[in-house]
Amino acid sequence: MSTDRLTADPELQQPVSQAADKQTMAGRARRFGALHQAERTLRSMRAYGTVILFSSVSQPIMYILAMGLGLGVLVGEGGDFAEYGASSYLMYIAPAILASTVAMAAGIEFTFPVMEGFKWRRLYYGAQASPLSPGQIASGHILAVSVRFGIHAAIFTVVLYLFGAISSPLGVLMIASAMLGGLAIGLPIMAYVSTLRDEKGQMSLIQRFVIMPLFLFSGTFYPLTNLPGFLQVLGWFSPIWHANELGRVLAFGQPSPAWLILLHVLYLLGITVAAWLATVRIFTRRLGLEEWRGRTPGAKADAKRQERLAVKDAADSTAPGGAAPDSTALPRIAFRRGFGANYYSGNIRAVFGRGLTAIRNNRGVIFLSGLLEPVLFLTSFGLGISPMIAGVDAEQVGLRGGGTISYAAFIAPALLAVSAMNGAIFDSTWNVFFKLKITKLYRTMMSTSLGPVDVAVGEICLALFRGGIYALGFIGVLLVGGLIDPLAAVLMWFTALFVALGFASVGMAVTSFMTRFQQMDWMMMVLMPMFLFSATLFPISVYPAGVQAFIQALPLWHAVELMRDIAFWDFSGLTLVHIGYYLVMIVVGLALTTYRMKKLFLR
Amino acid sequence: MPRLCENASIPLSPGDITASTLPLMPVEHAIRATGLTKRYGDFTAVDGIDFTVNRGESFGLLGPNGAGKSTTMRMIAAVASRSAGTMSVAGLDPEQNGPEVRARLGVIPQQDNLDEELSVRENIIMYGRYFGLPRRWLNAKTEELLEFAQLSHKATARVEDLSGGMKRRLTIARALVNEPEILLLDEPTTGLDPQARHILWDRLFRLRESGTTLVLTTHHMDEAEQLCERLIVVDEGRIMAEGSPAGLIRDHSTREVLELRFGMDRNQEQAQQLTALLSSGAASANGAAAADVGVGVGVGVGFSHVEVLPDRLLVYAGSAESALEQIHAAGLRPMTSLVRRSSLEDVFLRLTGRTLVD
Repeated sequence: MSTDRLTADPELQQPVSQAADKQTMAGRARRFGALHQAERTLRSMRAYGTVILFSSVSQPIMYILAMGLGLGVLVGEGGDFAEYGASSYLMYIAPAILASTVAMAAGIEFTFPVMEGFKWRRLYYGAQASPLSPGQIASGHILAVSVRFGIHAAIFTVVLYLFGAISSPLGVLMIASAMLGGLAIGLPIMAYVSTLRDEKGQMSLIQRFVIMPLFLFSGTFYPLTNLPGFLQVLGWFSPIWHANELGRVLAFGQPSPAWLILLHVLYLLGITVAAWLATVRIFTRRLGLEEWRGRTPGAKADAKRQERLAVKDAADSTAPGGAAPDSTALPRIAFRRGFGANYYSGNIRAVFGRGLTAIRNNRGVIFLSGLLEPVLFLTSFGLGISPMIAGVDAEQVGLRGGGTISYAAFIAPALLAVSAMNGAIFDSTWNVFFKLKITKLYRTMMSTSLGPVDVAVGEICLALFRGGIYALGFIGVLLVGGLIDPLAAVLMWFTALFVALGFASVGMAVTSFMTRFQQMDWMMMVLMPMFLFSATLFPISVYPAGVQAFIQALPLWHAVELMRDIAFWDFSGLTLVHIGYYLVMIVVGLALTTYRMKKLFLR
Repeated sequence: MPRLCENASIPLSPGDITASTLPLMPVEHAIRATGLTKRYGDFTAVDGIDFTVNRGESFGLLGPNGAGKSTTMRMIAAVASRSAGTMSVAGLDPEQNGPEVRARLGVIPQQDNLDEELSVRENIIMYGRYFGLPRRWLNAKTEELLEFAQLSHKATARVEDLSGGMKRRLTIARALVNEPEILLLDEPTTGLDPQARHILWDRLFRLRESGTTLVLTTHHMDEAEQLCERLIVVDEGRIMAEGSPAGLIRDHSTREVLELRFGMDRNQEQAQQLTALLSSGAASANGAAAADVGVGVGVGVGFSHVEVLPDRLLVYAGSAESALEQIHAAGLRPMTSLVRRSSLEDVFLRLTGRTLVD
């Protein structure tokens, strides 16, 4: 009887819950599944939403001030860029900066989150159990990232208009061209990353060997034609160059033949569509019925490594005294007594040794990739900007003796200082953060007879070791290029270590306060302006006195100046100030690091 | 419950007294804590506990999550400071002699924290290097430990290629590299499948036989029963009882337990009915016992009490089988019934009114 009433009364026929009608639910998923996935991804982005928004606003301002105005003074106004339709250097680079920042964001959004989805947090496998199809999961991620690009590009464009860096109303369309550029560079990377079963440094390889070169050789800061022929070819392949050129046409009407504009659009669209389809296919293979588990990158290298280890172990165990009976008793475990015995056991060697073993186990190419960055910067700026600048006036950059110096010789010592900073910061922040919070290596170390001082100093030594090798490589390039003389080279190498020690100890101290990844992002956002403003690519004298004073308070400026003093053999009382600045950094950084280590591990 | 603690406390061993009166004698206790307290702001994780672990003993801290077990372990391991109280580990104060105390300890944390960037063998060697042990000696020692952990065939493998049980065994092997006098194990088998667990227990038995002092925390009753000679039951930072597993069960529970399910809604009312039935049954059975020997029903039920859990009833009785027969005889029809031996789980329930497993 009750069932009769149910069918009779339309009110009661309503399903009790939204989920009761499976048919409708499946249909909805079939049609809008990609949007559901996009919503999820966007919601997860909210965790670092403030960082994204802040960078969207601050990046254009930073680049306008640093490159547009700073480098602009050096490059000179007007004439040179009139043939491209721009009335200033700032106007010329503005659209390209927009496209480049979107491309940089693509390098992040299409790598780490995809790896997270397949391996680290297996989020895609959660979605796989829902009615969504693998293709929808892929497209959902792409849509969400596109929205993020769109927001970034829109804010960026508004800021550029406010600074008068865009002259044409068509400039609004740059939002689309930049998004397209981002997808064209990001989607092939996403397709590649989604084939990976394991991450063994591929993410940082992509940053250093793909995104960086494509960015540096895509005519962002100068016309591509400034580069020698073979480097121009690299630019033609770079989606960033095509997006840059499209942006320039839209922003200030750079004269371009119609076929070239069409080519830019078709090239970007072609890559985007092809890579999108490839990504959907790979997602379908991995999350669909086939259950493909992905490639293990470097499996061959891994097998080789195991073989090598086996040989080494065999040699170890047959070594004289290796298994001799008298060695079976536990040797005395030595520890210091006396001052600070609770915090320092005198065994820094073990921490350092562990780091070396870990570096050896990783693929060498990852270690060496750190060498590449300063060389790329020097090549790009040295070759690309030099044709626009007659030379740097020595008086203007505070060097005595007068005359002019070449632009490459001007930036080379500064880039060495920057690379020393970057190497030290990377090792003492990201790596330390990982060992502190993710792999908890330090906790393991602290359960042995090691003390916090052993761990802190050992890790800083490791950062110096890496920084020292990178500096050696870069100095070698400078020597071969005839940009510095041998005596200066030796001094500069020690200075690079000294600078790296300053950054490493402060970086480690600051990292010890961090608890979440988002805070690390904030820290990186402090470093970027330091690089752009610290007299690296142009002399500090282009700024008003107030700004100059601020820059002179930052550590990188002191490192850059110290390096230039050595490179041009121009010492003064200020040289001592620079050295003193770093001595203070080292002492304060080490003291604070040790204090924090005690706090963290001996609570 | 002061009464229970009084029941359970055991007298200090003679060795302890010697050690405290004659400081020149070798210390007989591995660890001794008095009034041990740890506060985090307003929260008191460990609330003034006293315990002594003798050399060569295997000692357990049993309690639910958040009882203060891990905090206690961290204070023993010289990686956490005390808010109050005294502590001596191998005769040293861990807060003053951190590296020296840790040199005598082997620590096996709750979660494996192996070094993923190193191979299996390198994990043990590097760990030994942290103690400042010479590489040549470590090469030989590592072979021995790999053998012990049944990992010799995986020596050059990457850590991430190991199964959960293998990782756990490697963690244990690694903690043994300095030949520790005291091994601290925090939830050693949590998250392992039964087979891996039994392999691990076997390894720990061997260590115990070789004279290593074991201190372990667990919320698994069977583990405590298997591995601990003596244990303390901890809840909310305080010691609820102390003794051997068998002794604790004897003191705080009956020999057997009858688990009954009547369906979610009926458990509470059935509990009263059962208590009435079995209490009277016990009384009448006592009188009729001599006459009815061999019949079974009503003989020696030894009924104690009934515990009501959300999903089932626990009837505590010396003979659960007899109790079940009585219940059937009275016409009660539980949906399921299970007769089992009393365990430490029941001791914990009795002492705290709560179950251990969350």
